[in-house]
Amino acid sequence: MLTKKLFRTIGRYKAQFISMIIMVGLGVGIFLGFNIEWKTLEVNVAKAFEDTGFADYRIVNERGFSAEDLEAVENIEGVDAVSRFLSVNVSRKDDDDIIALTMSENIEVSGFKVTEGAPYDPEDTEGLWLCERYAKANGLAVGDTFSMMYKNIEFSGPIRGLIKSGEYLICLVDKTQLMPDFEKNGYVYISPAYMKAKIGMTFFPQIHVRSGLDKDTMIQRAEAALGKSYMVVDKELVTSYAEAHGEMTEGKAMAAVLPVIFLAIAILTMITTMHRISISEKTQIGTLKSLGFKDRRILRHYSAYGLFISLTGTALGIVIGLFIGHFFINPNSVMGDYMDMEYWDLHMPLWSIAVVVLINAVLVLATLYSVASMMKGTAADALRPYAPKAMRRMWIENKKAWKNLSFATKWNIRDILRHKSRSFMTLFGIIGCMLILVASFGMKDALDSYIDDFFEDAINYHTKIVLDTELTDDRAVAELIEKYDADWTADLGVQIGENTYSMEIYGLEHSYYRFVKRGGEHIDLPEDGVLICERIARKEGLKAGDTFTVSVYGTSDKYDLKVINVVQSIPESVMMSDTYADSIGVKYSKSALFTNVADIEESPIISSTQTKQALIDTFNSFTEIMNLMIVLLAVIAVILGIVVLYNLGVMSYTERYRELSTLKVVGFKDRHISRILIDQNIWMTVLGVALGIPAGIAALQILLVTLGGSYELSLQIRFTTYLISILLTFGVSFFVGLMVSRKNKKIDMVEALKIPE
Amino acid sequence: MKIVEISHVSRIYKVGDHEQKALDDVSLELESGKTIVILGPSGAGKSTLLNLLGGLDSPTSGTIKIKGQDISTLNADQLAEYRASGVGFIFQAYNLIPTLTVLENVALVKEIAKDPLSSHDMLREVGLGEHMYKFPVELSGGEQQRVSIARAVTKNPDILLCDEPTGALDTETGVMVLKLLQSMAKEHGKTTIIVTHNQNIAKMADVVVHVKNGKIKEVINNDKPLAVEEVEW
Repeated sequence: MLTKKLFRTIGRYKAQFISMIIMVGLGVGIFLGFNIEWKTLEVNVAKAFEDTGFADYRIVNERGFSAEDLEAVENIEGVDAVSRFLSVNVSRKDDDDIIALTMSENIEVSGFKVTEGAPYDPEDTEGLWLCERYAKANGLAVGDTFSMMYKNIEFSGPIRGLIKSGEYLICLVDKTQLMPDFEKNGYVYISPAYMKAKIGMTFFPQIHVRSGLDKDTMIQRAEAALGKSYMVVDKELVTSYAEAHGEMTEGKAMAAVLPVIFLAIAILTMITTMHRISISEKTQIGTLKSLGFKDRRILRHYSAYGLFISLTGTALGIVIGLFIGHFFINPNSVMGDYMDMEYWDLHMPLWSIAVVVLINAVLVLATLYSVASMMKGTAADALRPYAPKAMRRMWIENKKAWKNLSFATKWNIRDILRHKSRSFMTLFGIIGCMLILVASFGMKDALDSYIDDFFEDAINYHTKIVLDTELTDDRAVAELIEKYDADWTADLGVQIGENTYSMEIYGLEHSYYRFVKRGGEHIDLPEDGVLICERIARKEGLKAGDTFTVSVYGTSDKYDLKVINVVQSIPESVMMSDTYADSIGVKYSKSALFTNVADIEESPIISSTQTKQALIDTFNSFTEIMNLMIVLLAVIAVILGIVVLYNLGVMSYTERYRELSTLKVVGFKDRHISRILIDQNIWMTVLGVALGIPAGIAALQILLVTLGGSYELSLQIRFTTYLISILLTFGVSFFVGLMVSRKNKKIDMVEALKIPE
Repeated sequence: MKIVEISHVSRIYKVGDHEQKALDDVSLELESGKTIVILGPSGAGKSTLLNLLGGLDSPTSGTIKIKGQDISTLNADQLAEYRASGVGFIFQAYNLIPTLTVLENVALVKEIAKDPLSSHDMLREVGLGEHMYKFPVELSGGEQQRVSIARAVTKNPDILLCDEPTGALDTETGVMVLKLLQSMAKEHGKTTIIVTHNQNIAKMADVVVHVKNGKIKEVINNDKPLAVEEVEW
């Protein structure tokens, strides 16, 4: 019998039950979704690395390693597997596409997984294994012939198989590229046998090592084994590893911010709503009690309501969570564009299931607590209707101004102060809505201004020519500079303390590359010191005027450098002018040229070219998806606002039904009554918006700092962001106010004024 | 002067397919300035009649004229205006707004009535001059009903409509409330219509209207209405 009552009661409080289920669903869904995001990456990225033998360390020597060197490294205690390795950017024949030509002597280390076609054959002297995504984007299939040009030598052969490699999990041409572009870039593996057959020799500038040793031990033992100091690169510095783990860290950070807000709102909504419902059920609770139902039985009955809501909400939440997880992590998502992964099945952290169970327990307990407080005392006590707290005079009423307020204003003020938990929840909902809107639109502003600053301002060239560093012949480079009227740059790996950065030397006659300070101010390269990027400034605790020491990787050269200014940059770098570099004796070779010439002739010393537009395009595809996420967040914010406000609005309307009908009987028009209700909504919205703006800025700041690992985003919120967020929030509040006050017309004056039972 | 002219009024409620005649072809005329008691058992239709007079409800057919104005065809807003200035209500359950003080409960009608009286004066008249700044819960039932009378009279309406005004009060307090009602009506020249099932109250009326099964059984003019204190309770 009580089960029947359960469903009828749910029908009676439809609006409340539906909104609670939606809130719990959104809370649980966003919580699960955001945790599924990073966990899925963690599991699938680890699998991709494991499958293709991703190396833990790379020992680098531009002059190449011999078989003896390899053996020496292989014999190091604690090294599991080694392979000599080559990866060099080449051009596709008769095309601008840049392909990473790759060779791994031991395919178990830094190798690949064949998704289609023949397995790798180390003896194959003709065929090649091509990046699956590049093949798909360019209409290439197993058996087709693929040709590349490297130093005027053609590498050509049938495609034996299509592959994926952990090494190129995030397949970027160089540090300035943000998003992979498989239409223009890919990678090819060939066997050392192929290269030997082609040019009569092999060349391996890297030894890849799989080992559980820590970095210091590895460096020490490699030095001892090889007899001299080489650059040992930890996997943390490899793009694929660093960026993939950066994504996970960002995901974890996001998961720790947004879902908490939603879960808090869901739990608080549930507590307040269940409290209200048990108040209106009080006489029924009393009736059951007086009929002889034991307290425990009644509690069990009412806990079923809580359980019903939390279970239905959780089921909805799991669906929403999987949807959000899938939205972020699927082969066609931004992550799919970013990472060339084989596996996309979703995973959730085990503890998140425990959290969801805990949330369900909290929700049921909250219900029990509300009901238990209505059941206190004897059956007669429980039968008596809930007596609201007696009205007392409030401090505000002793002020002079109080007297001059209209009755509607007084009524609203007292109502807000009297129902503190309801008012607080309303405020919380509006702040939440505003916070998410400001933070997500602000995120777009930050990205937009980043593009403006960096791409529009810093990059001032039409084409970047990447030189082949192994072939640099100073005279040939000088000729190129002359020919294309170019500026140039060179880069070196340097260490500040333990951390590795890049040091860039620029020869800028034409300002084809510019340095931009946060806020858009252009900074010239100083002649008496260096510029550093914001992230180095933050990590190393440096500011303008400070001096620091860099040691050039793989050499014993050390330089003391003075920071002149801090600027924005995509790679983490120290930037200096050629004249300053020469004056302190830095040895470098030019690695890239910047020019305004569009047509670049092929040359043995040019490894690739890249236009500014191509760079912007890759970033645009990145921001397009970002925009989608922002729209998703805005929609969630608006749903959140509507659900919370509507739920509370209906509750407050029901509670004031008698008063409202009295007003109507006395002669107030529907319009007038609506205005009173909407007024209260508007005050709460004004207050919520006022508090939501700083909260949104704070949340955005947290997100930007978390994302700061990858980009130097600055907090720049446009006026329109505030305007749109405020308009949307007010729109939500006004819309809900209208929906609730529409019910005025339905007030049954006669019914409402009957004496209460 | 005729203040109320009801002619051939029916009020039919539809409950699903079932029709229920709460009032069945009722006609009635009432003189201004009188005290009228509508008497009848519960379910007779007396509250329906009161609701129609008060503009809380509209008849299914027939016309209701108050001071010559037909209120049976008014829309929701016009009805609200009529309620705001034309009639004052006194309910069995008082229906005060708990979050407003006594004074505010009375003063709130000044925002809508055309020609309201002073709420301060009115509260003093009903003997609540000292309780103006209290909240309704701090008052006794009788005191709350006095606030409700003050609120109704402050609107300065032509008619006071009272639905079982003493229903929730003990006899002693009920007598006091009725006395107040009678004196307020006389003082301010209001027509008072009281709906009740209490036969005794009928003795103080100028006109007694007996309602049964949705029809008016008889209308009795009482030449010698008793003062409240003369009635045997």
